[in-house]
Amino acid sequence: MVESIVSTGVAIGCIYALIGITYNVMFSASRVFSFTAGTLGMLGGVLGSLFIARMGMPLAAGFPLVLAAGALFGIITEIVAVRPVLKSLDQHLYVLSTLALALIIQQFTAIEWGTEARPFPRLFDIPRGGFDQQFWLPMLACAAVIVGLELLYRHTLIGRAFLAISEDNYAARALGLPERRLRMTSYALAGVIGALAGFAGGEMLLAFFGNAPMLTFYGFVPVALGGMGNNRGAVVAGLLLGLFQQAANFLVGGIFASVAVFTVFILVLLARPEGLVGTALQRRV
Amino acid sequence: MPMTRRQALASAGAAAIAGALAKPAIAAKEPILVGYLPALTGPSSSTGVGINRGIQLAVQEINAAGGIDGRHIELITRDTQSDPTKAVNGAAELTRGQKVSVVFGPVNSGESLAVVPLLARTKTPQIHPCWVDTLTDPQKYPMCFRNAPTNQQIGGAANRYVVEVLKRKKVAVISDTTGYGTASVNAYAPMLKAKGAEVVYQGNVDAANPDLKPELLRMQSAGAEAIMPWSVNAGFLSRIINTRGDMGWDVPIVGQTTLGSGQTKALLEKPEYWAKVYPNNFRPVCYASGGKLSDRTGAFLNRLKAAKIDMGDTLLWWIALGYDSPRMIAEAMKTVGTEPEQIVGYLNKLKGFPGVYGDISFAPDQHNGYPDDEVVMVEANSLKDGAFNLAPGYSA
Repeated sequence: MVESIVSTGVAIGCIYALIGITYNVMFSASRVFSFTAGTLGMLGGVLGSLFIARMGMPLAAGFPLVLAAGALFGIITEIVAVRPVLKSLDQHLYVLSTLALALIIQQFTAIEWGTEARPFPRLFDIPRGGFDQQFWLPMLACAAVIVGLELLYRHTLIGRAFLAISEDNYAARALGLPERRLRMTSYALAGVIGALAGFAGGEMLLAFFGNAPMLTFYGFVPVALGGMGNNRGAVVAGLLLGLFQQAANFLVGGIFASVAVFTVFILVLLARPEGLVGTALQRRV
Repeated sequence: MPMTRRQALASAGAAAIAGALAKPAIAAKEPILVGYLPALTGPSSSTGVGINRGIQLAVQEINAAGGIDGRHIELITRDTQSDPTKAVNGAAELTRGQKVSVVFGPVNSGESLAVVPLLARTKTPQIHPCWVDTLTDPQKYPMCFRNAPTNQQIGGAANRYVVEVLKRKKVAVISDTTGYGTASVNAYAPMLKAKGAEVVYQGNVDAANPDLKPELLRMQSAGAEAIMPWSVNAGFLSRIINTRGDMGWDVPIVGQTTLGSGQTKALLEKPEYWAKVYPNNFRPVCYASGGKLSDRTGAFLNRLKAAKIDMGDTLLWWIALGYDSPRMIAEAMKTVGTEPEQIVGYLNKLKGFPGVYGDISFAPDQHNGYPDDEVVMVEANSLKDGAFNLAPGYSA
C-alpha cells in the first residue's frame, strides 16, 4: 500500500506541480491567472497520442511537436484572452476570457478527437511492472522543469528580464525592456511546461478531453497552497497534494477522497491565507 | 473505411435530400413525414451513429419496396448533438413546424428525459430506445413506447448472471459519479440483495481518478467474488480491468455494455485482460454456441455487408435497433394509417413484432416492449462484426 501511495502519489503530484508552475509562469508575466493551464495539460496528452500513436511519428519528432503546439497555444492565449483585458485587471475579466478560451479548446477537442479516453503510447519499450515509466516520467519532467527554470531565471539575461517584469512591470518597461515580447515569450514557455505535464503524464491520465477541467482544478491547488507566483511552493504543495490525495484514496476511498482533499485545502487556507510557502504581501498605504 | 460522425451526418442529410428530390411516379402522393432525433455529433453520439446506419438502410428498403400505399417515408432528421436543449428544440420543430406523423428518438436518455413530456403534450406518437425506467408511463405519456430494455431489465440480467449462473454470492458494485452511474448502483445493489447476494463493496468513484487500485484492494479484502461496474466511461472501465489484471486477481467483471466496446479494448494494457469480462448484450444479435447467428440476424448481417455498411467501429445491436424502428412504424401505418390515435391503438396491441434486435410486444398498460429473456451477458473478448458470443452458462 505504501509503495502504491508513494509511486502514484508523487507521480500525480508532479503533474499537479507542473500545471501549478504553468499558472505561475503566466501569472508572473501578466498578473493574470490564466485558466487555460489545465487545457494545456490535456492538449499535451491528446496531441502526444495523435502524433505518436495515431500518426505513427517517432518520439523524437512527436515530442518536440507537442511542445511546439503548447508554445503556440500559450501565445494564442496571450493574444486572444489576456492582452485585451490587461488594462482592466482590477475587474478580473481575465477569469471570463481565459475560461472561455479553455472551454472553446476543450469542446473543439471533444468534437475532433472524441469524447472517449484513448490510449497514450508507451514511450519507451520497457516491460511493465514495479516502478513503471508511467510513474517516473512525470517525476523526470518535473525535475527537468525545476532545474531548467532555475538555470533560466538565475543564469540567463532573458530569465532575469522575466524576473524584472514579474517584480515591477512599469519599472521594467521604463528601463526599456520589451514587456509585450517578454510576456508573449513567458506564455510560450508556460505552454511548453503545460504540454510537457500532459505528455509526461499521458500514460497515467490517458488522452482524454475531460482531463482539462480536472487539471485546471487540481493544478490550481498547488498555486493557492504554495503561494501565487512561487514555483518552489507549487512543487512542494503539488507533491503534498498528490500524496495526500492518494493516501485518502486508500484510507477513505471513492468520492470521500476528493472531499478529504478539499477539506484540508480549505483548512490550510483558513490557517495560512498566503499559502504554506508564500509570504503575506505588504500593502502600500 | 470507418464512417466518421460528420460523414454519418452528411449521409443522413443526403438521404433526406435525395428522398425529397427524387420523386418517382410511385410517390406522386405526399410523403409520410417521420421525425427522427438522433445524436449524430457530440459527446454521446457513438450510439446514434450506429443506430443511424440501420435507420437509413431500413428507410431505403421500405421506399424501394413501394413505400406505404405508394407514399414514401421521408425522415426529417434533427441532430440533437447529444444536447437535451437541442433535442427539445428539434422536437418542437418536428411537431409544430414539420407536423410529422410520428417521432423516433431521441436515442440517449438525457435527451429523452427532456423530450418525452414535450411530445406527450403535442400528442405525437413516439418510439424511443432509451433505458431510463421513467421514460415510459402509459398514464402520463400514453403515446410513448420503448422498443428497448429498461435499466431494470439490464441490471436484472447482469445480477441473474452473477448470482444464478456464476454462483457468486459476494459482489462489489462500483460506478463513476455521473447520474447514470450512481442511479444504477443505487438501483442494482438492492436487487442483488433481494436475490440473496451480499454486496460487500458499494462505491462511486470519480471517473478521472487515474488509480483504481485502492478501490480494487478494498473489494478484494472484503471478499468480493465478482465486480459489477456501471459506467459508460471507457477510461474508467478499462482502469478497472487493467488493475484487476495487474493484481493477478481472477475475478469476473460483469456489467455495462461499454465493457465490450472497441474504445475499452483499445485502452487495455494487455489483450488477455479482456478475458472473464461479461458485458450486457441481446440474445438475437449474439453468436450462439458454434459461433452462429440466428437465421434472421445472419440474413440481416449479409444485407449490411452487401450494402457496404461498416461494422468495425460500432455494435450490431445498435444497427439492428435502428433497422427495426422504421419498419415497426411502417408496419403500423400500413395496417391502420397515419393518424396518431390509430398508430397508438395499433402499438398498444402489438404482439411479437419480429425485429432483428428482438421481438417487441406492447399492451395498453405496458409500453416497455423488450422481452426480459433476450437481455443476456456476453464474452467481451469475442467481438466480431459488432456481435459477441453468449457468456458461458447460456443455452443456445
